[in-house]
Amino acid sequence: MHELDLLMGGFATLASNPLALLLALVGVALGIVIGALPGLTATMGVAILLPFTFGMDPVSGLLMISGVFFGGVYGGSVTAILLRIPGTPAAAATAMDGFELTRKGMAGVALGTATLSSFLGGTASIIVLIFMAPILAGFALEFSAPESFALAVFGLSIIASISGRSVIKGLIAGFLGLLIATVGMDPMDGFPRFTGGYTELFNVPFIPVMIGLFAAAEAFKTLEDPKVRLGMAAALGRILPDWPTYRRMLGTVARSSGLGIVIGIIPGAGADIAAYVAYNEAKRFSRTPENYGKGELAGVAACEAGANGCTGGALLTMLTLGIPGDAVTAVMLGALTLQGLQPGPLLLKDHADLVFTLFAGMLFCYVAMLVIGLGSLRFMGRVLQMPKSVLTPVILVLCIVGTYAINNSLFDIGIMLAAGVAGYFMQKWDFPASPVVLALIMGPMAEANFRRALSLSGGSYDFLYTRPITVVLLSVAILTLLLPLVKRWRAHRMESRRPGATSPQNQA
Amino acid sequence: MKVTNRLSRRALTVGLSASALIAGAATLPGAAFAADYPTKPIELIVPYAAGGGTDLVARAFADAAKKHLPQPIGVVNKTGGGGAVGLTEIMAARPDGYKIGMGTVEITLLPHMGVARFTVDDFTPIARLNAEPSAITVKADAPWKTFEEFLDNAKANPGKVRIGNSGTGAIWHLAAEALADRTGTTFNHVPFDGANPAVTSLLGGHIEAVSVSPAEVSSQLAAGQLRMLAVMADQRQKAFPDVPTLKEKGIDLSVATWRGIVVPKKTPAAVVETLRTASKAAAEDQSFRDQLAKMNLTWAYADGPEFGQVMQKDNAFFKGMMTKLGMAK
Repeated sequence: MHELDLLMGGFATLASNPLALLLALVGVALGIVIGALPGLTATMGVAILLPFTFGMDPVSGLLMISGVFFGGVYGGSVTAILLRIPGTPAAAATAMDGFELTRKGMAGVALGTATLSSFLGGTASIIVLIFMAPILAGFALEFSAPESFALAVFGLSIIASISGRSVIKGLIAGFLGLLIATVGMDPMDGFPRFTGGYTELFNVPFIPVMIGLFAAAEAFKTLEDPKVRLGMAAALGRILPDWPTYRRMLGTVARSSGLGIVIGIIPGAGADIAAYVAYNEAKRFSRTPENYGKGELAGVAACEAGANGCTGGALLTMLTLGIPGDAVTAVMLGALTLQGLQPGPLLLKDHADLVFTLFAGMLFCYVAMLVIGLGSLRFMGRVLQMPKSVLTPVILVLCIVGTYAINNSLFDIGIMLAAGVAGYFMQKWDFPASPVVLALIMGPMAEANFRRALSLSGGSYDFLYTRPITVVLLSVAILTLLLPLVKRWRAHRMESRRPGATSPQNQA
Repeated sequence: MKVTNRLSRRALTVGLSASALIAGAATLPGAAFAADYPTKPIELIVPYAAGGGTDLVARAFADAAKKHLPQPIGVVNKTGGGGAVGLTEIMAARPDGYKIGMGTVEITLLPHMGVARFTVDDFTPIARLNAEPSAITVKADAPWKTFEEFLDNAKANPGKVRIGNSGTGAIWHLAAEALADRTGTTFNHVPFDGANPAVTSLLGGHIEAVSVSPAEVSSQLAAGQLRMLAVMADQRQKAFPDVPTLKEKGIDLSVATWRGIVVPKKTPAAVVETLRTASKAAAEDQSFRDQLAKMNLTWAYADGPEFGQVMQKDNAFFKGMMTKLGMAK
């Protein structure tokens, strides 16, 4: 095991560089805070930190950035679970079951499960990155426009399983999301669509809509309740789930981490997609799928393991091919280049020592995340004991500041508030918000890649059934859509059969 | 010694231009404090996201300018609309020199597509800092070893050769269209969401070529996975001395993206003068040049008037191209 020796060497180098370890710790802590605040994403955290790392040695600088990246992906879950404020798009998936758990007074266990699963998913992805990077790098290149289109269609099919009580209402919300997703610059021809002449609308204002639908809508809703406190579990209760409970989730965590890693490797797909896909698959394989959406611990575990599994996958493509798959790794590529390390096929060959020191440091970052996370949860959980008269305005201010921070744009704040009002009525009338967010992520991806695939094939639709990955993904998408219907139909038939004696068809 | 010399010279220039403006100062309240500009920090608007190429140039510049201006420059990213949002903000800023901008080649592209409220004449150029030419790059195992072979194949198979670009109407798309126009070939132009996905697609063998800048493919070139056939520049690139220019191949075509400091049109001459002097000093600072080199970006300083000529020339060229392509509005 050549890699193992190198990794041990990396740990040794790291142990003699306490400053790097300290900076990694600071990075993780910063990342968690950035991730927890709505609007501030890991990408922004990394970009803001970048100039400060110019003067550091490569290991310290890059570990600090990795820490912000990892912490940022995890941090979103804390506010998602406690307050239904997803700090990041991926955490919108966590909020589905996480916030239901908080309502049930199980916030502590939900947070603990999220932290543990984030740690396991992230660590697994770094281990895959260390030992299998060259093997898996080729997989990213197999992904062309037809495959990305099929992945997006699969992603859209997940709407069926995150719709909550009513599939029809879920689909309505999903189509609403798809409609909003058509606003903006046409991805292929570059013409503005439905922008009303506002340059601000050229890109779909995705994060403001998400913050509005979840956080602002929740804040509006608390305004109508006259009680002073939220009344959700004055005490957090235990934080670590007991071992038998967590052991039952290990399968889900392993599967979700694997999915996260694969999705991370795919260019253009990131933690948000991974979280939703992992959630969908956890529900599909669960013995009690009806509990999902009503506060299922495994749902939280799946989202978090999936989202953090993405980190190693995304780093893998960036380091081995020199191509960033998403916005965070694009900034990290800049950081590496500035430190004189050119990511690409030659990186592992030319700078093996340094790269493996970084890998060792990344494992350290995840351990740091686990410790900081578990250590601070009790403190963060206090937020639930705040009087509403304080908490609600604070949440609204955070929504506004976070939205403004994305593009330094007042226009976005208007969009966020409008989405908040819409989200308030959606909650009142029992329309789920998650399908809107999912459609906003997947819709543009599906459209752009479908049209790009047609452009690549010269107008032929053959790519739909001649490319193996595309075929598999499209088939899974159809299955995902039809399975709940088939199940319901069978359940319905069973029910009509059981009191069978009275049914005329059964007598015949 | 050198520093004080430069400082006093700047003070002199500023002083002279300020006294020339005193007559106007009575009527223009904004110009009154131009004499001691800048007295507060300057905001540098970057129309693209933090961490991207334009942002990195801006931050390196802001860093280098610290030594040459009495007040610091703070970078503010105003993203959206493929650069239109930020560029509009620069155009509409109060012309007092406290809100300056990072102008990019999109100043000469977006107005023709009918998606911008500004034109090239709404900006006063201060200094070009960086420029990157377009280059035709293919896979290393592609059957075409030279640009001629590539072009012959494209001519023999019109519409079959797929060239990836960074988005319709973006600079690399227009570069490939211009190449098709000058050589009488037809390519299949495939837009991607930025240069990186186009390069990924090329590596995977899903397209035949890309028209992105050499910097955007440098690590894959170094690893021997890709081959650059020609650059659309007047001279060969320093980092790639073996790659011929299109001019050498008898095709008179140079297309490059550029980034530089611009201010709103009505900015007083004294402020423009101060900024030009400081920008020149910052751009020529060794630390700035080193920082660009580290990021694989090409240093291409040009003073205001010269930069302005480039802007006007590109504006006319792209207007013609886009009208011909039916993209202009």
